[in-house]
Amino acid sequence: MSATLGHILRRAARSLWENLSLNAVAAGVIAAALLLGGAFWGAMSTLNDAVEVWERDVHLSAYFASGVDEARQRAVLAEVQAMPEVEAVTWVTATDARAYLEERVPDIQPILVELGEDAVPASLEITLRARYIGDETLSDFVTRLQRAEFEELDYGKEWVERLTAFLGLLKALGAALGTLLVMAAVFLVGNTMHLVTYARRAELETMKLVGATLQFIAAPFLIEGAVQGLIGALLAIGALSGLKAVLLGRIQELVPLGQAPLADGSLGLSTVLGLLTVGVLLGVVGCGSAVLRFWRQAP
Amino acid sequence: MIRLYHVSKSYGSAQVLHDVTFRLSKGEFAYLTGASGAGKSTLLKLLYGAEAPTSGKLLVGGVDASKLGPARLPLLRRNLGVIFQDFKLIPNRTVFDNVGLALEVIGAERREISRRVNAVLNVVGLGGKGERRPLDLSGGEQQRVAIARAIVNDPAVLLADEPTGNLDGAMAVEVMEILLSINLRGTTVLIATHDIGLMERFPHRRLRLNAGRMSE
Ligand SMILES: Nc1ncnc2c1ncn2[C@@H]1O[C@H](COP(=O)(O)OP(=O)(O)O)[C@@H](O)[C@H]1O
Ligand SMILES: [Mg+2]
Repeated sequence: MSATLGHILRRAARSLWENLSLNAVAAGVIAAALLLGGAFWGAMSTLNDAVEVWERDVHLSAYFASGVDEARQRAVLAEVQAMPEVEAVTWVTATDARAYLEERVPDIQPILVELGEDAVPASLEITLRARYIGDETLSDFVTRLQRAEFEELDYGKEWVERLTAFLGLLKALGAALGTLLVMAAVFLVGNTMHLVTYARRAELETMKLVGATLQFIAAPFLIEGAVQGLIGALLAIGALSGLKAVLLGRIQELVPLGQAPLADGSLGLSTVLGLLTVGVLLGVVGCGSAVLRFWRQAP
Repeated sequence: MIRLYHVSKSYGSAQVLHDVTFRLSKGEFAYLTGASGAGKSTLLKLLYGAEAPTSGKLLVGGVDASKLGPARLPLLRRNLGVIFQDFKLIPNRTVFDNVGLALEVIGAERREISRRVNAVLNVVGLGGKGERRPLDLSGGEQQRVAIARAIVNDPAVLLADEPTGNLDGAMAVEVMEILLSINLRGTTVLIATHDIGLMERFPHRRLRLNAGRMSE
């Protein structure tokens, strides 16, 4: 048994060495597939994280109707504060709101004067607790929040909903793309390795004719495939880390995502292990399919 | 040791073997003869499982080669030594590695391989040429490498396809003497050949194929 293992390992090493360029091509194919898939996956999960951050920020503005006096407003504030979904409430009085607006938009003063006292309503700025942010609880909460004192409830739900729907679409697209990528990579690796089995068909055929089993012939190729996958995955991991560091730096300059823990180039252990696993599987399946193809047609 | 019952073989619409029946006992030495294209190589291919018969039954060492699945065919082949018409030597491996291949695939230890390969190279008169590559050897030497690989694991049956086909007279006699000596050690030997002179010089049982039909 140990002798067989020795023969298999020697054969694998020899085949890797003697078909260095084809093995490099196979590793390159795997690296490219993982890079493409990984980049898409990364973009998607970054977006996903961002949406989660925004969702967590769901935030309602409840505008008081004109004629609700400050005492009444204070009472409503207390009621809202008592609601279990509410994380925090800020009371913005009409005076505060006007001051804020005037500070932000200097030219607005004359317009506000024109519109009169009630132009800028007082409001409650409500932040929800994260666990109440699901679709249903949100609309439920809005219903219970509704009362005569409020003129209008304004929340960014539509925006979040649209983004979530878009993300769902993107995920479906990603799954389709991933499947396609895996198939293409297996096909390409299989064909590259078919060239290897073709180049070595005299030897492989003779091995089969003198009584080698499929396992004995295939094992070195499976090892070869695993090595290709490993190297391909390492290349992809390197490239993805670089890509991530560069792109995320850029993106964060453009769109601050809050305290996003995304900015460094490391991919995370599970991603690295995932890429290694998928890479090795691609190599092994690709090489395995090439050997099987050879075995079926050899005498 | 070898039995064929009403074996026929067609490639597509071309029938190559017609209702062939014969048996070869353990330890026998026989020629399979006939003109080029008579079906000699095809019959040997059926015996080592490279082709399946279209109809009929065929037993080698008691097993039906045509019914062996891919898992058990290798086991049959390990008990057969085959000298192929085109040698099937691996050009970029040494003579030693080529012969050792038959032992490597059954998982023999390296030391064991080394011992047996060197012994068998001496038997075929290639002692000291183990590190050569097949293409650096003469036709006769290549033929003997092919013989060495076929006999290195003491097969019960030795099949040889035109083993003297491309050798001059003296070399052919030498090869025949090797094959006969292997037979003397108990191996059943079947040699496909159309070399009448050789068969007359070393007379043995002849199985004649004529356009795929057998007669003795
Ligand atoms: N793989 C094949 N496909 C089709 N025809 C074949 C094949 N192998 C052999 N033949 C045909 O079968 C006949 C017998 O061939 P073969 O067994 O090689 O004869 P021999 O070895 O006696 O010269 C020939 O006519 C040959 O053309
Ligand atoms: Mg022939």
